[in-house]
Amino acid sequence: MALLAGGAVALAGLSPLRADSARGQRLFQRCFACHSVVAGEDKLPGPSLRGVMGRRAGTLPGFRFSPALSAAGARGLVWTRESLDAYLTDPERFIPGTEMGLPGLRESDDRRDVIDFLERRKP
Amino acid sequence: MGRLLLALIVTLLWLPSVAAAEVAVQAYLLPAGGGPHDVAVGADGIVWYTAQRGGQLGRLDPISGKVDLISLGPTAAPHGVIIGPDGAPWVTEGGTNSIVRVDPRTREVKHWALPESRGYVNLNTATFDKRGRIWFTGQNGVYGRLDPATGAMQVWDAPRGRGAYGITTTPEGEVYYASLAGSHIARVDLDTGAATVIEPPTKDQGARRVWSDSRGRIWVSEWNSGNVSRYDPRTKTWKTWKLPGDRPRTYAVYVDERDKVWLSEWSANAMVRFDPETETFEAFPSDRPGANVRQILGRPGEVWAPESGADRLVVYRMK
Repeated sequence: MALLAGGAVALAGLSPLRADSARGQRLFQRCFACHSVVAGEDKLPGPSLRGVMGRRAGTLPGFRFSPALSAAGARGLVWTRESLDAYLTDPERFIPGTEMGLPGLRESDDRRDVIDFLERRKP
Repeated sequence: MGRLLLALIVTLLWLPSVAAAEVAVQAYLLPAGGGPHDVAVGADGIVWYTAQRGGQLGRLDPISGKVDLISLGPTAAPHGVIIGPDGAPWVTEGGTNSIVRVDPRTREVKHWALPESRGYVNLNTATFDKRGRIWFTGQNGVYGRLDPATGAMQVWDAPRGRGAYGITTTPEGEVYYASLAGSHIARVDLDTGAATVIEPPTKDQGARRVWSDSRGRIWVSEWNSGNVSRYDPRTKTWKTWKLPGDRPRTYAVYVDERDKVWLSEWSANAMVRFDPETETFEAFPSDRPGANVRQILGRPGEVWAPESGADRLVVYRMK
């Protein structure tokens, strides 16, 4: 999955099945070491993901992003279901030079449920 | 006096290039897409690395350049690898939430799963104590111990929650770990398992990895602050140095047999060697963009660095 010009992203083959919300929360444990969706928890190695949907990549105030992620945001990358799915499939391939250590979630259902979990965490 | 000053200036300018000339650098290209995370080199010179993105343990023969990949399972995502006292590679296998041993001769893969009640812990790094037990960290806020002889495993909650990352054993056999999210290091009581938090002097420094020198002093790579710091357990004192450059990011630390301190600095995309005697840094920039070295380990005469962003293993050999 590649980041296309202008930040457009090739659509992922997202499963149409209803997401399992408890499963999404369990899968978020893969992200928990560095990210939070709890208000005020913002001194972690990764940026807060509370309200991440619709946020331009690399723009959360107060967090120091990698140059690669900041550049992706400057090129127009916005976190949507589609772009998150692409990123979580293979972070290093989607944004070369990303500092995020997650190797990727191989299963599309896993990505779908985590994204659903994040989508419900609004600021 | 003028001649003395001139001689001093010439010497200071010359020394770094002499030091760098004492190091031969060689890169080994790995199968694409594996994402090498951690590396360990055995006494026999064979190099093992975690191909985290591929779910495999890689084996490199540096003489022939041949790489073999050993699958750790369909859901594997291995993070750390170390060489155990038995000469085998031991892996903190994040995908299956288990400690894994790979037999170097038969390639048999053996798993010791963490208790299900613990859930996913995000296994990070491991180290052996002098009693043959393997201690490990889980970034979601745990650390633990496995006795391979009996299979007995214990897992404890890390003080202050998530963050437990690098871990090391001193020459005396003491075990210390770093907490990245918690910004501290901790000493583990080998008998009770209790962890005692030790605060570095720089607040929110992001202590990521730790390594002991020959005197049992703990060196810490500080991701947020860009420092390298040293804790002396005998005097309970700290000393801190800022890495050179613009807003450094210190990810990994390793102390070689000469007590020189090796660090990976992500802002400069370089390996950095620090001499505690002269308090000087020398940089070895990667020739690949975004090398992203996440761990460093070596054996006498060699320091190995996995470039996760370039799918390479790079070795720095002292001449």
